Amino acid sequence: MLTGNAAAAWGVRLAEVDYIPVYPVTPQTEIIETLAGWISNGVMDSRFVTMDSEHSMLTAAGSASATGARAFTATSSQGLLYGFEMLYAVAGWRVPLVMVNVSRGLSSPITLEPDHNDVLAARDTGFLQIHCETCQEVLDSILMAYRLAEDERVLLPIIVNLDGFYLSFTREPVEVPDEEQARNFLPLYQPKHAFFKASQPMAQSAAVLGGSGYSYFKYQMHMASQNALAVYKEVCDEFETGFGRNYDTVEGYMLDDADYVLVMTNSFSTLGKAAVNNARERGIKAGLLRLRLLRPFPVADLKAAIGGKKAVAIIDQNISIGNGGILHSEIASCLYTEKHRPLLLSFIAGLGGKNISPDEFEFIINKMIEGEDTGDTGTAQLIYTDKEWHEMERLKRMAGKG
Amino acid sequence: MYRVRFHGRGGQGARVASKVLGTAAFLDGYYAQDFPLYGAERRGAPVAASTRISEDPIMERGVIPEPDIVIVMDETLLQDPLTMPVSGLKSGGIVLINTTRSQAEAKAEYKITAQVLTLDITKIGLDMLGMPILSTLAGGVAARIVGLSEESLTAAVKKVLAEIITDRKLLDKNVAAALYCFNAITPAKIELELKTTETIKKKSTVISLPFEHAEVSSPAINATGNTPLRMTGNWRVFRPAWNYDTCTRCMICVARCPDGCILVNEDGFPYTDYDNCKGCLICVEECPTNTLGKMREVHAKKAIGK
Repeated sequence: MLTGNAAAAWGVRLAEVDYIPVYPVTPQTEIIETLAGWISNGVMDSRFVTMDSEHSMLTAAGSASATGARAFTATSSQGLLYGFEMLYAVAGWRVPLVMVNVSRGLSSPITLEPDHNDVLAARDTGFLQIHCETCQEVLDSILMAYRLAEDERVLLPIIVNLDGFYLSFTREPVEVPDEEQARNFLPLYQPKHAFFKASQPMAQSAAVLGGSGYSYFKYQMHMASQNALAVYKEVCDEFETGFGRNYDTVEGYMLDDADYVLVMTNSFSTLGKAAVNNARERGIKAGLLRLRLLRPFPVADLKAAIGGKKAVAIIDQNISIGNGGILHSEIASCLYTEKHRPLLLSFIAGLGGKNISPDEFEFIINKMIEGEDTGDTGTAQLIYTDKEWHEMERLKRMAGKG
Repeated sequence: MYRVRFHGRGGQGARVASKVLGTAAFLDGYYAQDFPLYGAERRGAPVAASTRISEDPIMERGVIPEPDIVIVMDETLLQDPLTMPVSGLKSGGIVLINTTRSQAEAKAEYKITAQVLTLDITKIGLDMLGMPILSTLAGGVAARIVGLSEESLTAAVKKVLAEIITDRKLLDKNVAAALYCFNAITPAKIELELKTTETIKKKSTVISLPFEHAEVSSPAINATGNTPLRMTGNWRVFRPAWNYDTCTRCMICVARCPDGCILVNEDGFPYTDYDNCKGCLICVEECPTNTLGKMREVHAKKAIGK
């Protein structure tokens, strides 16, 4: 049994990473502790360096990647934001850095538990993004991430995301592949565009003025990211052949004959699947779609999965203050051109790691059924219960607020 | 599925207890999942950890809101208004409390309606390990309550501790202590009760949040700080005990106390502020005249003063 963090460390160990610059932040620190332990007792051969901030850490990781080394780093939440400037920079260098983000809600108010405003803030940077539901998936995704990022048609950095606490510290059974198997799947990284040789000097990241150069480079990144959709399918197939586990860009659960679909990401999808089982027992044809690849956004797979359904409820575990759910906007925009658009409902749930209880899922599924009758999709609704409100009232009194 | 929730204080071993239980269940062929939740990472802070054990794949995550079994490793938590260890316990569920009290006494003292089991785990820890770290012991107790095998418990303790400690003797002592705790619980009665452990569902209703002015809805605290009211003295396993016959008023204890919990009376003699002393026993260690000794603390006090 492994925690999500330990599973991440195993992925890095099996990927035979060369260079790991680190900076601690809850709930990610266990990853770098585990790697540090392995490196110090000699079972893993990598250069491990402690840095003075996430900004330096990302700079070091990206730079190492730009010399042709296989690099890894990990962060979370406030740490990701502290290094944010370098996300765009590193992606612009077109280097295949793999970074784990352990999701945690952003301050203020300060918390430790997960939602996805941290990782989704990075959605426009050029980093690809894979979001995981289980500890097994975390390990497997790191191997897949290197394959995808290092592919010549892609060459962009990638974030593998897992939820703080709900996955990072949760232990569950994980099958650890053997080294030979991993090595076969993930060959040596030998880049032609980013290297460090005294005999052959090069400069990374030119300055461009006037806009046409800038536009060229940025759009090249976008096309490389789009290429990643097809490359992902190849990587996915090869992974399944080698390891027997399939991870498509999206995962359907009881989806084929479903009329009412929940759309979720990350570890809370497990709760959503249980809610689908409960609804099926009540005779409701419910299903769930889990988005796994968030960047590039798998538009075609998404349309194929939910186009033509009666109603779809997007459960955003994030909030774009002033607009609502981030994934709701993205999914709505990709369904707009469809002839048979499902009724699309928007819910905000699980912020700061708030549990989503079976009752709350039942509420969401009922809303889809009601909406089908009335055609009313309403506005983005926060999923919040009367009990939680009473508890909040108690806390407000304790805080001296009336 | 069995859902077990452990409540302890940082340093006591609630997290490791949940891992021991999870690993033992896994070794017994069940699906298992364990998960700790802690806020401030410091000794003495409340920690909760959850273990789920099931014959089918586990479709739940996070803290267990409605446990079948609660293991209270520090009984002072029962009076902590933020921890509330027994909250959500299913009717017919079981609470095991680490206490010197009898079952009947504990039930009455803490007004618990569910079935209560008691065991002085701290004493077993002190006797068998020489320290009040209760991780493997609480794991052993829980393994018995859910009906796991002695063999898997033994293997689980070894496996989990091998990742943390290198002292072979201490590891063996932990195995012995875990098994001692395992056998200190009578299981027949428990199984009978657990058959009735079904959730009595109280529906929760989804509401629309009303808008509130920032005066209320900004995350600021207007109330006066209550830290002085929080009596940290209830974390103690041992209390420093004074024998003034030998005290020379040298004040070394006053200087060494890390929490400023040794005060001086009108006659110039130092004394302990027991409401706040956490029982680190540095004073006992430092006292040059053996004025200070240690005594096991046995009764819980209220977590927050009046």
